Amino acid sequence: MLKTAVMVFALAAVLFAALAAPVLEMKPRAGLDFILRNSPTPQKYLIETMPGGVALLDYNRDGLLDIFLVNGGRVTSPMQIPENFDRSDPLYWNRLYRQNKDGTFTDVTKQAGLANAGEGNYGMGVAIGDYDNDGYPDIYVTNYGKNTLYHNNGDGTFTDVTEKAGVAAGGWSVSAGFFDYDNDGKLDLFVTRYMDWDTKHSKTCGGEWHTYCPPEEFPATTSILYHNRGDGSFEDVSQKSGIASKKGRGLGVAFADYDDDGFTDVFVANDGMQQFLFHNNGDGTFKEVGMEAGAALSEDGRRLSGMGVVFQDYDNDGRPDIIVTELPREIYGVYHNEGKGTFSYQSLETGLGMLTSGSSGWGVGLEDFDNDGWKDLFVAQGHVLDNVEQIDPSLHYKELPLLAMNHQGRFERTDPGLTAPVAGRGAAFGDLNNDGWQDVVMTVLGEKPVVLLNPGGKNHWLVVNLRGTRSNRDGLGARVRVNAQTRFATTSGSYSSASDKRLHFGLGSAQTAKVEVDWPSGVHQTLSDVHADQFLDVTEPEKP
Amino acid sequence: MIRALVLLFLAWQSPSPEALQHMQAGAEAEKNRHFDVAIAEYRKVTELEPTLAAGFVSLGQAYLENHDYGGAIVPLKQAVTLSPELRPAHQLLGYALLAEGYAAQAIPHLEKAQDTAALGIAQLETGDFAGAVPNLQAALSQRPNDPDLLYYFGRASGLLSKQSIDTLLAAYPDSARAHQAMAENYYILRQMPQAEKEFLEAIRQRPDIPKLHLELGLVYAGSAQWPKAEEAFRAETKLQPGNAEAAYRLGNALLQQGKTREGRAELIRSDKLQPEMPETLYALGKADSLEGDATAAEKAWKKVIELEQTSRLTAQAHFALAGLYRKQGKADAAQQEMEAFKKLEKTSTPPEAPQQ
Repeated sequence: MLKTAVMVFALAAVLFAALAAPVLEMKPRAGLDFILRNSPTPQKYLIETMPGGVALLDYNRDGLLDIFLVNGGRVTSPMQIPENFDRSDPLYWNRLYRQNKDGTFTDVTKQAGLANAGEGNYGMGVAIGDYDNDGYPDIYVTNYGKNTLYHNNGDGTFTDVTEKAGVAAGGWSVSAGFFDYDNDGKLDLFVTRYMDWDTKHSKTCGGEWHTYCPPEEFPATTSILYHNRGDGSFEDVSQKSGIASKKGRGLGVAFADYDDDGFTDVFVANDGMQQFLFHNNGDGTFKEVGMEAGAALSEDGRRLSGMGVVFQDYDNDGRPDIIVTELPREIYGVYHNEGKGTFSYQSLETGLGMLTSGSSGWGVGLEDFDNDGWKDLFVAQGHVLDNVEQIDPSLHYKELPLLAMNHQGRFERTDPGLTAPVAGRGAAFGDLNNDGWQDVVMTVLGEKPVVLLNPGGKNHWLVVNLRGTRSNRDGLGARVRVNAQTRFATTSGSYSSASDKRLHFGLGSAQTAKVEVDWPSGVHQTLSDVHADQFLDVTEPEKP
Repeated sequence: MIRALVLLFLAWQSPSPEALQHMQAGAEAEKNRHFDVAIAEYRKVTELEPTLAAGFVSLGQAYLENHDYGGAIVPLKQAVTLSPELRPAHQLLGYALLAEGYAAQAIPHLEKAQDTAALGIAQLETGDFAGAVPNLQAALSQRPNDPDLLYYFGRASGLLSKQSIDTLLAAYPDSARAHQAMAENYYILRQMPQAEKEFLEAIRQRPDIPKLHLELGLVYAGSAQWPKAEEAFRAETKLQPGNAEAAYRLGNALLQQGKTREGRAELIRSDKLQPEMPETLYALGKADSLEGDATAAEKAWKKVIELEQTSRLTAQAHFALAGLYRKQGKADAAQQEMEAFKKLEKTSTPPEAPQQ
């Protein structure tokens, strides 16, 4: 009798698992016809395998998330010196897609004034932030070449203000992000640069295999920090802030106040070397403390091929943790925030060792996809080398993304929502259809972006939209606690991408929530008995 | 040595005073590295005393010292004809023939001279690897740090091994051992899919061969296929319960999958089988730490440092201790370990370059 009962139970469990609704579903969106043209060549110029970014932003403030996609450029084979990448050709434009009320998209690139990506620029990533606090999100595009800042005019158009703002950078920029490092209410800008590489000094590696070169083949370089003067211009404070004191090979960047001192810190995912954790000293300077804090190397003290990064709290202890995506054989790094400014490496404890040791990760996010109150992990995946299978058949240029559900701090793989592997790169997260369930847009080399919509379920949710008054208008840098969860307000993280600025919380079965906001200005705000299942606008009190 | 023997031989043969005079003049010229003069003087000796073997030996040696190996052969051959038991003549003739590429002809002379080093080299050159290995090994026991001997011994051993494998592959191409040999070769060449295929075939035929499962497990571990690696290592531990490496590998594969408790048990078993194996102790420290036993982890890692002192593993142990102390809030101790780690990082073997 007992045996029969056990068998019936086991069968039911199997059936339930088979019939369980997928967490994400691939849903091609009408009108989203962008193709990420990275232009791979037999010469294997390293830039070809590195783009491209995606941003989710509501540029026209109609309440619907729009999509901005960064394109690569045309690379001749062999490369012309200097290469112009044909960015005036519409095939190689970056694209802005406005979301329509029916969930379709319309390409508004030209009318928005974003068609000019700049000759000599090969596109990489994107950052989103309202740097002039006018209520409209602005767009910063990183390139190999010169970066571009587009000011949102508030009428559906953008103006290239790079020159006036003084944020062109130069070299090879990859990820960037807006944050307010000095809590002056104006968003500053951090730009990672990959390496000291240029088209004249490119080379091919791998002997007979002919592959893209590893990062060690080129000199490291510095990241850039721009301070927002508040008059539409920025000052390059890389030197005086201490950011430029460390040379790295920065690909990803994410922000959070890891030691709870009220100032936002910076984590830079470096490729093929130690990771950087820039502690914000609160006086306009930073100190790189990755080694001392335990967030620089693997468990065995080995260098990592850091690419994407997320800086959020995965175990609901209120402190921001760090997850870094890497190459195969390295397993994605999980740095658990132990408090008191220190981290411990917990890739094995969280189950990521098993899930990621054979994969190459890029864009990454910690989002509560099933609204159970625990942030799940999504990673865009695909190897750097487009011929990696010839070298090692156990590795793959095209991979499925990783979707791992968070079971009280331990991750378990689930169906990622698409069946065919892709060369995933950037990933941005947000609620595209405003149903309270987080969705994903992932860029794919040589192909259209993948839109993964969340079909939803029964759990409750809350989305918090911050409006800073004393703090920066986007509220970036705020710590928001909803019931047992904490999120750090940011659009940055992932890889070369920018996510929805709204903060999403899964509430499980809870129908009300207590919302606490620690604003960058120092103001603490509490809202009690907030009803679940709503988009909640929270405005910073003018007076504390 | 050779010169002393020749002089002894010369005294016994009592040459004419004129020949003796040329002999001494030749020796003096040789001493002053005037080899052309020495050759001329010794030649006169051989002309004056055509049955005096010592004269031909000296002439041959002068040629050798002048790097004229071809010129040395004729007088040295004459010397061994005149005195077949004269070992220095055989030895020098062996050298000259070997230098000129006549290894096979050199061998009987070097055998007579009982010069194991040169004989081993000559045997290596003629493809007699089985003969070369013991001779070179014997020579190495006399001159253990001789770089030439180390090179020739390594080469002879490698070629002997290859010869055996070639014979195996030719005679029994589909045997388990042949598949194992091919698999090991692919493994060295980092051609893992082929290595896996050959190991699997070898195991299919002879699952009882020790180390086969272990080697297959290493293929899987190398590509982070931990469940398969675990299966292979487990099979090896069943086959060889006393094999400490198999237990260590199994323990590590389990750790990688988050099976901490089981992994730790296996690592403890490995440590009992072969105490003080640094790799096991390091992994054991990790397992202890994952299980929350900080005291045991600290002890294991400290033991690694005590055993190894300057290796890459020692650097890792310092790094792990830094993490442990950091977690315990012992900032100073953590900092101290980090400093030790950084110092060793600069001096020990650098970490493997990340694979792209």
